[in-house]
Amino acid sequence: MTDALLQVEALNVDYAVGSGGLLGGGRKFLRAVSDISFEINAGETLGIVGETGCGKSSLGKAILNLVTPSGGRVLWRGRDVTKMDRKELRALRSEMQIVFQDPLSSLNPRMTVGEIVAEPLRVHAPELSAEQRNKAMIEMLERVGLRADMQNRYPNEFSGGQCQRISIARAMIVKPKLIVCDEAVSALDVSIQAQICNLLRDLQRETGVSMLFISHDLAVVRYMAQRILVMYLGNLMELSPRDELFERPRHPYSRALIGAVPEADPNLRIVDSLVALEGEIPSPLSPPSGCVFRTRCPNATPACVGSVPQREAVGPAHTLACHHWRTLYD
Amino acid sequence: MVEPVLKIRDLSVSFAAGDQQLAAVSNVSFDLNEEECLGIVGESGSGKSQTFLAALGLLARNGRATGSVLYRGQEILNAPRHELDELRGNRLGMVFQDALSGLTPTMRIGQQLAESAERHLGMSPAEARARALEMLEIVSIPDPAQRLNAYPFELSGGMRQRVMIALAMICKPDVLIADEPTTALDVTVQAQILRLLDGLKRHTKTSVVMITHDLAVVAGLCDRILIMYGGRPVELGATAEIFSGPLHPYTAGLLRSMPTLSIDPEVDLPAIPGQPPDISQLPAGCAFAERCERASDRCLREDPLLTARTNARSVACHFPLDGN
Repeated sequence: MTDALLQVEALNVDYAVGSGGLLGGGRKFLRAVSDISFEINAGETLGIVGETGCGKSSLGKAILNLVTPSGGRVLWRGRDVTKMDRKELRALRSEMQIVFQDPLSSLNPRMTVGEIVAEPLRVHAPELSAEQRNKAMIEMLERVGLRADMQNRYPNEFSGGQCQRISIARAMIVKPKLIVCDEAVSALDVSIQAQICNLLRDLQRETGVSMLFISHDLAVVRYMAQRILVMYLGNLMELSPRDELFERPRHPYSRALIGAVPEADPNLRIVDSLVALEGEIPSPLSPPSGCVFRTRCPNATPACVGSVPQREAVGPAHTLACHHWRTLYD
Repeated sequence: MVEPVLKIRDLSVSFAAGDQQLAAVSNVSFDLNEEECLGIVGESGSGKSQTFLAALGLLARNGRATGSVLYRGQEILNAPRHELDELRGNRLGMVFQDALSGLTPTMRIGQQLAESAERHLGMSPAEARARALEMLEIVSIPDPAQRLNAYPFELSGGMRQRVMIALAMICKPDVLIADEPTTALDVTVQAQILRLLDGLKRHTKTSVVMITHDLAVVAGLCDRILIMYGGRPVELGATAEIFSGPLHPYTAGLLRSMPTLSIDPEVDLPAIPGQPPDISQLPAGCAFAERCERASDRCLREDPLLTARTNARSVACHFPLDGN
């Protein structure tokens, strides 16, 4: 028994695509998440980074039990979430919260901000009186940088950054143990992004809440997470402590992702400094055989076509899946 | 002294909303020089896109533009449609964030490219087709001969953006205006498109305007940057100088609050407090005043104009930083 808050073991998520033939024989499955394992400890932030179709959002949803995994297990404090009874699930729902990318569409437009933020308490803390709920709601609004007098307004009266503060208040009011942030700062303006990142960091320092921080933006993930999982087409490429990943990426895809981020340095010209991978992400409906990254990997060999690389431990808390990592970049 | 390609003076854009006129862009003046790459940086609502949509006569119907936009000495602001049609797609190329809406969905991409070459360059159909193929090669589309027959929906986002660039560049325009061309793309594809734009910029005489919210994108690409805020230009100067010593407190705040791969992630980013102004409720004075730590009473009353300082640098601030 470890002290991990959340354990994900060999998780698969499949989606049925197409309606299938007359007899259902033509039904196809798209594997959005393939054999992913990791843990999140209390108080830490795990970042998940990857491009379109890498399965990062599906993974987040499977953890929250919003999609049913087709294989593997999600253990919350040692208990399998797919085997929980109704009472346990309800407790789980208050312990795990989510903040989505699009702040406005994830808030009910017909509810006032006060109602939205207090609503989770109505469900998860029914013993509280209306007065107690109200007090907690106002404290929470103020904690996330909104004013108490905003409680009677509707979401459409708020900017994107403020809506994200409302979403965070709604998530934090039930004192969760884990928040899943799915591209939570991606739609925000640059000057607002740092505010919301800092708010999440402050809340984590104050409450010890763990975070699963999903983003396509490497610089933001580096700022937010202590460990980072790099995914590509549903598969784990590398899972590494933050500094090791950025100082010495071992997987060719991690290296390519980091090299593709433009540096805010006028002395580095784009053509000299940006590393661009060839080609584009293959369709997840027909992923390449062997290593899914091989069609774009500058180091691919016939071995990469023939077999799926197994996860190997490179160091403490550092694993990756590449046939050639031992001989690359040394 | 060489005349600039584009000379924009006192350009203002407003939109009718009910019985109100909303000021989206106020008094923007700058030059785009020959063969330069100018970055226009701002957040949503800063007016960065509307400035160029207005210049090209592409404002929404309720939009109104005043001031002057000279293209090689010729006034093009609010020019008749046939004049603008001739300039756009020929001398002034454009690339937008959403490449799908910039291409005609029912036409093969080869046809779209060739049509432009026939119309603007007076080429024969065969010459135009050869030119179309050449352009697809220049923008590094794999299997270009086959792709000529593809429809836009058959291409990925990155490929469509390449086709948009090919279409914008086919007539060797004087100006390429790229409005958030990589924002909708994945990181590795963004890197491909940025490299392509940088290569085109080096190997052609085309001046490039790069409109973006991302300072990191302009850092390695643009010679000069114009920073906009609340519909106003707030700072203009050489890229290297702006990065090493911003004059406007907003520019300085933006640079400090950007998470980059070189910051210390253990240290909290100094975020700019508050939020960008709503253009329906712009303050009387400086649009940035209420978020600015240097603001005084004067900033709340008087809107600072973009004023030239040393070294071809301009700033719109009553109390600018010293630039060191």
